[in-house]
This record gives sequence, structure tokens and C-alpha cells, in this order.
Amino acid sequence: MTHKHENLSAFVDGESQDDNFVSDILNDDEMAAKWQRYHIIRQSMRKEMPISADFDVSASIAAALESEPAILAPKRTWRDLPVISNVVPLVRSGGQLAIAASVAVAVVVGVQQLNQDEQQVFNPAPASYPGIQGGLSPVSLEQTQVTPAVSVRDHQRRINAFINDHMEQVLLKDSQRYLEDESALVDEVKSEANQPEVNQEREKLPE
Amino acid sequence: MRNFLNKYFLQLNYLWAALLFFSCIKLASAQVGLIQDPNVLMWLDKMANAKTQLNYTVSFVLSKPGSDPQPYLWRHGVNEHGIEMEQLDQLNGPGREVVRVGDKVSYFESHRAPYSLASGYIIGPMPNVLLTDPKSLLSSYDFVIIGKSRISGKIAQQIRMISKDKSRYGYNLWLDQETGLPLKINVMELNGQKVEQIQVTELNVTEQPDPYFAKLEAATMPAVIQLEATEEVEKLWQVDYVPVGMKQIKHSVRQLPDNAGSLEYLMLSDGLVDISVYMQQATASAAESDIVARFGSDIYFSRKQGPVLVTVIGKIPANTANSIAASVTKVQ
Repeated sequence: MTHKHENLSAFVDGESQDDNFVSDILNDDEMAAKWQRYHIIRQSMRKEMPISADFDVSASIAAALESEPAILAPKRTWRDLPVISNVVPLVRSGGQLAIAASVAVAVVVGVQQLNQDEQQVFNPAPASYPGIQGGLSPVSLEQTQVTPAVSVRDHQRRINAFINDHMEQVLLKDSQRYLEDESALVDEVKSEANQPEVNQEREKLPE
Repeated sequence: MRNFLNKYFLQLNYLWAALLFFSCIKLASAQVGLIQDPNVLMWLDKMANAKTQLNYTVSFVLSKPGSDPQPYLWRHGVNEHGIEMEQLDQLNGPGREVVRVGDKVSYFESHRAPYSLASGYIIGPMPNVLLTDPKSLLSSYDFVIIGKSRISGKIAQQIRMISKDKSRYGYNLWLDQETGLPLKINVMELNGQKVEQIQVTELNVTEQPDPYFAKLEAATMPAVIQLEATEEVEKLWQVDYVPVGMKQIKHSVRQLPDNAGSLEYLMLSDGLVDISVYMQQATASAAESDIVARFGSDIYFSRKQGPVLVTVIGKIPANTANSIAASVTKVQ
């Protein structure tokens, strides 16, 4: 019995290799119910639960499949026929679209939850910084006061200087660690004494 | 019928008990940060081991908002002495090549003479700390295994990473099921919008290091730059708000080119994300007024906080930059 459950757990995780196991589940009501529960638990842990509790659509899908025309579920041999092989992919891509749509729904739900979290935890009041009106755009700069005397170029120069400095600081961050741990550097420092011109390059780094 | 109902309610009970149980675990792990999915740890170990121990050649494309996607070549090998060798080559334009042998990283750039730094990482688009030492990020981020999908023609395991206090961008990693090497890395805002993407287009793992590394000669590499130790100067300002898992790793008083007067600098970092905070005396000059701008995936944020002008730069949401800038106070 427990072996069965292990198999089921593996199957739900997509790690089961045993094809017969599918029919085992199909024939066993208890296992089928368990399979469904595992999936619900998994979804809830991944925050992918739909908002309403009415999540069992398998019955309605089964009913829909019943009423589906037989041609939409071609047997495998269809694809082997060269003439029809051009047609069948259309049907299959329809199935893929359906899968993609269901994935999209799951993603949207997840994102909504994420947003709620964000607002609760981090952003109690709507953001109102000085300077931001509307969203951020890659190149535009926005200001609260209108000061005609200052050109955009002044802003740009200042921003570039700071961003270059930031990048240099990030570049040197890990080396700083080595500096503090001086033993790691001792050999290198000795060899460097012969090449002072590289030291001067250091001064030019910000450009 | 009654039997059936009984069974149904019993199952429902199980379900709720299970849900309650798991949500308790989730809560506990979110708050204490002690309980971590062993599968996550297994994958993080696999990734870190693969990154540092395998011989591989990776082609990837870096996409950032506001600029063309950039192709890169990234090679890694371990030589017979167990020393790591790494090369990162930007393939478009004048290029930028970085070579690392052990703890020596040499940069070859078009706009300045080559130089070397003593460092264990190549500073480039790959999030090195995340790939090499992911467990150091467990105190700042929650890792969740999402599932499997197909990336670059390979089966990939997806792992999502969200900062505990939602103050930093989240990461989505797709790791090669077979080797554990990254196949795709998305940096995204909390609403899911992409900020940056690394998409691997080709991944080759080999028995032996790439022949390129055999041609490397340590003697021809530029010498290591000696950094001057920063002298202790009295600090005037401090940042009171530090995002969860971040530490202040630098605090100095310096001069900036183009800027008259001294300015105080400090860096906050969780290893993966680095935030620079600049503080200087505010003047009446309008060039310093409140600005928010975006530079690739970095944010540039400056505001006047009383008598001090605070500038925050880093790969963080504007919200967080604002919180940091607003928390600057005078050292008591």
C-alpha cells in the first residue's frame, strides 16, 4: 500500500517511469482521489491555487470530451500517414494552445497573489516620490520644480559620473575583500612593484 | 449514499489538515528561514558544483531594457592542478574580454589598458555569487522549486528566488536537469515584469578544458592593481534602513570626478545585488534636484533629505531606493 503511495507521489512529481501506473490510478477510486489531493496540495504550496474553491474541473472536462467529435482525438496511426500529416499538427497545436492558455491563467493568479503580498508587506501607501510622475522610462528625466536654467546635459553629466563610479565600485568590491585578507595579495603585490605604469592606469579607471 | 458522504467529508478533512500543515510549514520557514526544501538545497549544490568543477563552453545572450541584446561567450575549465580558469568574451562591438585564472582576473577592454584584479569572480552579466555560493543568499531570499520545462533544447528545472522583504528584484533560474548549469536567468520585478534576461543558446560540457585555456600564459597577464586601503575619516551620515539580508560593506569619504567637495560613499550588498549610496551637502544647484532615471536594469535615484543630497544607484526597485534615501540620518 505504502509502495503504491510512493509511486503516486513520484508520478505527481513527473518522475514515474511506469506506464502501467496510470491505468492503476484510473481503476482505483481511492488512488484517483489521492492523485487529485496531491495536486491541490502542490498547487497551494506553489501559490497557484485559483481564488475560488471550485477547482475540480476534471468532471466537466470529461463531459466535454464525451461530447467531442471523434475526429479531434485521432489515433496514433493517423500521424503515420504521409498525406494527413500536414493536417494533424494543426489539431495538435490546438491542444498546445489550450495548454498554454491554462498555464497563462495559473501565472496570472500567481502574479496577483504576489502583488497582494507586495502591497501588504512592503508598500502600505501608494508610492509618491518626489520627481516621479507616472512610470519610469529608460531615458527621460522628470522633475518636480521647473527650473529652466539647468540643461538636460547637466543632469546627464552628473548621472553618468555617478553611474560610472557605481560600476567601478562594484568592479572593485570583491578585490576589496582580498585587500582586507592581505595574505592573499602578498605575492602579487611584490611582482607589481616592477610595473608602476599599471598603477597609473588605476587612476584612469573612472573614465 | 451516506457512505459516500462520509468518505467525502473524511477526504475533505484530510485535505484541510494537509493544507493547514503545509501552510504552517510555509509560515515557519518564511519567518525563521530555517526550514528549507531539501530539494532546493540539492539543486543549489548541484549548480554550484557544476559551475566551479565542470569544463564547459556556454553561449548566451544578455537582454536589458533600452539596449540591443548582447551575445557572450563564456568558457570554464579546471586544469590539472585543480585551478579554475574562466573566460568571458563580449562578442559584439569593440568587445571586452575577461580572463580569470584562480584568484586573478584580467580585464581587456577597448577604452583602457589591460589590468588585473585580485578577485574570485569575473564581474559581468552572470550573477556570480548566485551561481557559485547560492547558500550565502538563503538569509536574503526564499527559493522555491517551480517545476520542469524545456529551455535551449534541454530539460530544465525552474527555481524561483524572491527576496524575503520584497525589497529587491526576484530571480527565475532554469537549470539544466543533467548538469545543473544555468540555461536561463530572468530578473523580474515583483509584478512579474522582466528587468533583465540571460538566455543560454548553447551549452557544451566536455571532458577536458577547452584548448583555448592551454594557450593562456600566466606570465603575459597584466599585473594586479594594488588598491589603496581607505583611511579612516569621521563619517557624518548613516543609513538606517537596510533591506533584509544586506550588509554595509563599504563606507568611505571620497572625491568624485566632476564634483567639487567631498562626498560620503557607502555600499550595501547581499553578495548578489550591490547598492551604492552617495551623500553630500545639498546646494541650491538645480542639477542636483530630485531625479529618478533608469540605466539598463539599474536605477538612479536622488533626492534631498534635509541638508543632504542622497543618490542611490543599484539593481533595485525605485521603492527600495526611496526607502534607503529617506532613512539617511546624521551620525549621533
